[in-house]
This record gives sequence, structure tokens and C-alpha cells, in this order.
Amino acid sequence: MKRTLMLTGASIAALTAFAAPGAAQERVPSVEIFTTTESYDPIRYEGAFIIADAWRELGMDVSVRPLEFSTLLDRFYSEQDFDATILGWSGRVDRLDPQFFLGTLDSRQGGLGANNPGGYDNPDYDALYDAQGAEFDVEARQAIVHEMQELYVPDAPVVVLFNRDEVVAYNNTTFTNMNAMAGEALYSEWVPMEAEPLTDRATLRIGGPQEPDNINPLASTSVWGWKWMRLYYDRLVRLSPDVEPVPWAASEVTPVDDVTIDVTLREGMTFHDGEPLTAEDVVFTFNYYMESDYSYFDSYLAAIDTVEQTGDLSVRFNLREPSAPFATITLSQIPLLPQHIWEGIENPGELTPSEIPTVGSGPFVFDRYDRGEFMSITTNADHFHADEINTDAVEFVIYADAEGVFTALQTGQIDMTAWRLEPGQIPLAEENEELTVVSVPDFGYYHMTFNTRRAPFDDVAVRRALTMAMDRERMVNVLLDGRGEVGTSIIAPVNAFWHAPFIERFEFDMEAARAELEAAGYSWDDEGRLQR
Amino acid sequence: MSRRGYLIKRVLQAIFSLWIIATILFFLFRMGLPDPTAALVTEGLNAEQRAAIRAQFGLEEPLWRQYLLFLGNAVQGEFGTSFSYRAPVADIVWERLANTMILMLAAIVLAYAIGVPLGAWLSWRRGSRADTTGIFVGLMFRSAPMFWTGMIAILIFGVGLSILPTSGMRTLPYDADGWWDKILTLDFLWHAVLPVLIVALYYLGSPLLIMRNTMLEVYGEDFIEMARAKGLPERDILYKHAARNALLPVVTQLAVTIGLAAGGQVVVEVVFSWPGLGREILNAVRTSDFPLAQASFLIMAAFVITLNLLVDILYTTLDPRVSFQ
Repeated sequence: MKRTLMLTGASIAALTAFAAPGAAQERVPSVEIFTTTESYDPIRYEGAFIIADAWRELGMDVSVRPLEFSTLLDRFYSEQDFDATILGWSGRVDRLDPQFFLGTLDSRQGGLGANNPGGYDNPDYDALYDAQGAEFDVEARQAIVHEMQELYVPDAPVVVLFNRDEVVAYNNTTFTNMNAMAGEALYSEWVPMEAEPLTDRATLRIGGPQEPDNINPLASTSVWGWKWMRLYYDRLVRLSPDVEPVPWAASEVTPVDDVTIDVTLREGMTFHDGEPLTAEDVVFTFNYYMESDYSYFDSYLAAIDTVEQTGDLSVRFNLREPSAPFATITLSQIPLLPQHIWEGIENPGELTPSEIPTVGSGPFVFDRYDRGEFMSITTNADHFHADEINTDAVEFVIYADAEGVFTALQTGQIDMTAWRLEPGQIPLAEENEELTVVSVPDFGYYHMTFNTRRAPFDDVAVRRALTMAMDRERMVNVLLDGRGEVGTSIIAPVNAFWHAPFIERFEFDMEAARAELEAAGYSWDDEGRLQR
Repeated sequence: MSRRGYLIKRVLQAIFSLWIIATILFFLFRMGLPDPTAALVTEGLNAEQRAAIRAQFGLEEPLWRQYLLFLGNAVQGEFGTSFSYRAPVADIVWERLANTMILMLAAIVLAYAIGVPLGAWLSWRRGSRADTTGIFVGLMFRSAPMFWTGMIAILIFGVGLSILPTSGMRTLPYDADGWWDKILTLDFLWHAVLPVLIVALYYLGSPLLIMRNTMLEVYGEDFIEMARAKGLPERDILYKHAARNALLPVVTQLAVTIGLAAGGQVVVEVVFSWPGLGREILNAVRTSDFPLAQASFLIMAAFVITLNLLVDILYTTLDPRVSFQ
């Protein structure tokens, strides 16, 4: 028995020896790395070249192709016509729940236009994805979420390049108690309420280069629209600075069973026009959104089957299937609209700016929006949270670029920045005694996704080897100036509860990368090109 | 050809050019720019949801129908609804255009009011130290990128001395009863000082150098000799006889400059956060806001074409040698 084995071993060795000069082996196909243009984002652009250089060292024929951003998105998501692409996911607060990011590796989201363009297909992973989404016990769900990360990471379908730090600044002579929040930095929904004025001026002035696309709650499809609107529309639940769901317009959220959730509203709430906010408005809002053409909230609403009014201030949600993120995501993202205003509007998506209702029930009251220039809201003295609010108004000044924002911060025209500082501005802000620089790690991430349907990325060994050949440490140090963390998992370390701590790290190691390729039967031809 | 026939012919030509431009713009944006809903992918919207939005924008219709609709509307001065702002494009464009034109016209008038007489004077003193300095300064500001001069100006007058505002058209927030009410204020003038100066300095070089060089050519003409022979004062020769004849190229340059001004100086609008058309065009192209981008470029084209037409007509008055042929 043993002898036969040895014989076989010897003959295989002999065969390989004959084939050694590479006659039977073929070069691996050339690959293109898609990335952003240098002007759109120099970091992802330069990052692609760092990766390409190392891959060439491994004997790959690699070219870098910078694409205009929307074209890049099209090629990646809509057409899935790519070898490897560098892109990113932003860390919106509702994505702290693992549901969304884990979904980007679910094979059922592998269709054109969906969120898994790399086409990673692992039935075990998919099964666990369903299991975690239906698991109401937080500890048990955590265990599944960890297991999913342990499962996908060794397959390397996607490489998390890094989690960038959000660096913002505020003027410490005008306001204090400015608490940055993961993923939101200072422009969270809490800072406008919590900020304490140090001077006679209790109006918080925010400056940023971004503005809402529009402030129609049935048309806006940008984060910047919702970051502003959420200040004057209430939600049933808000996510605390520690990202715990806190009952807000709801006084209680009670799961009756896996698919039935009862919500009781706070008493005495009113809209800014004086009308009371009742269960009717809540039922109306959810139905209005579910029936409308507006698709921005579709993924949040997908779990809901029906919404029914069970009392003056109580509502019952009937879900299609158990949904663990329902309370954290759905209830915290849907704004409550006044039925008496919206019920008469037939095509809400087509309202012109002057027709858009701005009546909410939130802690702030809409004041004005001058496109391209200025927005403001005033504190709602009748709001149940009013006693905790230290500002009397919030203004948002819109600048054309980050340079304008920083000049305004330096000259005291604004109190805080809504968007991250440019790398060159950070040391200037740090030197300035009146400014406090705040840095919060982002749980959004920059990633390189392999097209696992295409050679050579259909081979897990190649993906693993190429991941080892990425010097992500250098990217963070050189490209981010050290302001960020080397990526580990699609659930970022800062999202500590859901992040799996014991997963493969893929340290930068060219020798290990070569060994991985050799073990999988790859070799190099006379010109040093990788072949198999 | 009669003056009237000439005018009709030129106007028809202008309309034809506009139609060509409108057509090119329509297809250029649809072929060259990505799907306006592409960016929504990062917001987590799937293909079906994006298709629903495209349908709302009318982009699911066949291309030829979209084109006919666009042309039909454009003829009536109707440019549709902006994809991202969900507001009528016409409102946005006219307001932004007005903001840009007030900045640009102020700067151009300033540049030509100083540049033309200064150029004439430099030609008279050609070869002197004043001449060399004048040419150097004109060329320097013409070649210096405006984002750089603008940022230096902001640093000195805004951050360092804190005597001039560095962004926007007015102190925010402000209430204005219409556009004129917005700009007929001291506050507006105050905000306009830096951006107008920066643009004016940039434009100064053209009238200065063109005037100077044309004047030098004119000095060689017989009628100047004649004027001298008559014993007219140098001053009169310079400003009354030579300068008037040297104006022609300057007028052409002025018309072209004003025509192109509609597009604004994007860089200045960005550096000074001026809510002008240039910034809007940049955003429209960036977000594939087809209706907004089409309307902006079409209006710019209409401006250039109209001004060229006006210049041609003006020429016949300024220079009798130009006939209607």
C-alpha cells in the first residue's frame, strides 16, 4: 500500500518534471483594476497603483483603469463588467446594523444592479444570512454574524482596504459638548440638540460643501437631504450616539411575536402647525411610503406586510418574516409625516420647491432653504425633548468647496464642519487654538472586489495570494497620512459588537503570496509571468 | 443686399446654429454622461428601484421621443424639471445666470474701462519703463490661475486683515424681494469686491495688449501723419483719431468675452462660493442632470451667437468699410 503510494508520488513528480518548462501551462489572463479618477479621489487612484505594482511582482499582467465615477458604478453594479474594482461603502448610521453590509456577499444579491457584483456564492453563508436576520436574541445573532465573517474572510471575495477616519473640526470658543458619533462625526442628529453655547449666540452654525438634492421627503435620494430633514421630522425611534435604538416618537416598542410588533406613541405630540400627531399619521406615513413610487426607503420597508391602527396612540406592524433589524433600521429611518397635509397630494414626487410641505413634528422647525446658499431651522419649544436642547436655532451655510468651508471656520463664520477636512487642512486646524479637531473611525469602508465569475479571480488561491500582496499598511500611512485603519472585515472593528475579532488578517507578505500560488499549482515562465 | 435681408439671413443662420447645438447637446449628454441614477447605487438602491426613478424622469421612453419632446419644449422656452433639484430648470438657470452675469459684467466693464485707455497710453509711451511694467502686470494676471490669485486675496483680505467677506453674494441669511432687491445693496457690493477684482485683473490683459498693439499699427497710417501735419495736439491725435480707429479689434474681443461670460468663471465661483451658473453646470454634469445641463449650455450658446450677431451689426456702424455683403 505504502509502496504504491510512493510510486504514484514519484510518477507525478516525474510528470511534473517533464512538463516543467511550462509547455502545458497557460499564462493567467491579464487583469484590469478599475478605480476612480485622480481628481475624484486621489486615494483610491493611488491605491490602485500600489496594488498593481505588487501584483506585477507576482507575475500578473495588470493595468489600472481610472473611470469617471458614475461610469465606474455602472460598470461595477449595472453591468458587472470588471475584473477587480476599487470602490467604497459609506458608513450611514443605519448600516451599523450588520444586515446591509453582510448582504453585499449574499449570492441572492448577485444579480445585475444588486449589491453583490463580485458574485460571491457560498450557500452556507446565505443560510447564515437568513438566520441572523430572523434572530431576535442579540447574543445569538452576534454569534451568527461572527461566524459569517469567519466563513467569508478566508475566501477573500472582497478585500477591505481600509476604514478611513472622519476628521472634522469645531470652534471651541463658541460651542462645547460637541460629541462626535461613529460614521456621522459632528453632523449627527444629536449635536444640534446637545451643543452648548459659550457665548450669547445660541445659534449653531454648520458649514459644508454639500447640500440636499431637494427637501421633498418623497423625492430626496441623498444622504444630505435626509441629514437635514431628520432634524425637523421625528422618527419612531432614534439611534443614540452609541447606536442603541432609543424610543423617540414611540414611547414603547413591544415585539408580540416574531412577526408582530406593537408600537405605542408618546402622548401629547403635535406637528409644527399645531395638529396632534396620532396613530393615524403613523399608519398613513408607512402606507404612503409603501404605495409611493419613491424607492429610497424600499429596503427598509420590505419587511412590512401591513400596518394597522390599534388605538389612538397605538400601531401594530405585521411583518412578512421575522426581521431583527426592524427596530434599529426601519423604525429609525422613516420620518413621520402629517396625514392632513400629505393625503391630498397625488404626485408628491413632482412638487416644485415652493410647494413642498415642511411641517414635521421634530425637535426643530423648518425655517428656510435658499438653494446653494443657506438653510436654517429653529428649536421647537413644544417638543417633548425641548428641555434637553441647548441651541435656539441651527443654520447651515453652503459653500462651493472644502476650502471655502475651512476659511469660514477659521474666520469664525461657522462653528463646525459638516464634512471631513482636507488632509492639508488638518495640521492647520490643529495649530489653531480656537479649533478642536475630532477624529472618529468610519465603519464604512473602501474595498477591492474581485469578480469571482472570471478567471483568474474564480480561483480562491489567486484571490488569497493577491490579497496578501496588498500593502494596506502603506496605503493607510502614505495615502491617508496614518488617519485610518487597515481593513479586516466588512463589519468594521469600530462596530465592536458585530465585528468578529478572530479572523484571518492577510498581512502584507509577498513570500506567503508566492507560496500560496505555488501550492495551488501555479508557476512562473521564463519571463516571470504567472501561469497554470 | 438690403440691410433687412441681411438681418433676416443672419437671424435664420443663428437659429439654425442653435438647433444644431441643441441636438448635439441632447445626444452628447445621453451618450457621454452616465445614467443619472448610477450614483444611487451607493445609497443601496437596486436595479428595479433605479428603473422606477428613470421612468419618473422620462428616460425609459425611446430616445427619439425624448428628443422631440425636448425640442418642442425648448422652442417654447421650457426646459423641463431638474432631476436632482426637482425644480423647473428655467427658474434655476435664469437666477444663476443673472448671478453670474452681474459678477462677470462688472469685472469686464472694469477691465475694459481701465484696459483700453491704459493700453492707448502705453502705446504712446512705448519702450518706456511704464510700458514694460504695464505689459508685465497685464500678462502676469492673465496667466496666473484665478483660483490662486483668488485664494491669495482671501488669505490677505479675508483671513489676515478680516476686512472683506470671502464667500457668497450677501451676508446670510437675507431676504430679498426679487433679484434686483438682492443686488442693489451695499452688502452685495461689499461681497462683490474681491471676486470682481480677481476676474477684472484676469481680463485686464486682453484690452490692454490689444489696444496697445493696434494703436502702434494705427500710428503708421497716413491720417495720423496728416493730423500731425495739421498741428493737432498729441493728446487729441492719440485719443480722438488713433484710439477710435484702434477700437475695432477691442470691440470684437469684448463681445466674445461677454458671450463666453455666461458660462461664468467656474473657478472664481467655486473659490468665492458665488452661486453662479458655472458652479451649477459643473454640478449638473457631475450628477448627469440632463435637463439642467442642456438648458445651461444652450443658453450659453444662445448668448455667444446673439452677441456675435450684434457685433457684426455694430461693425457696420463703427467701420463704414464693412458692408452688408
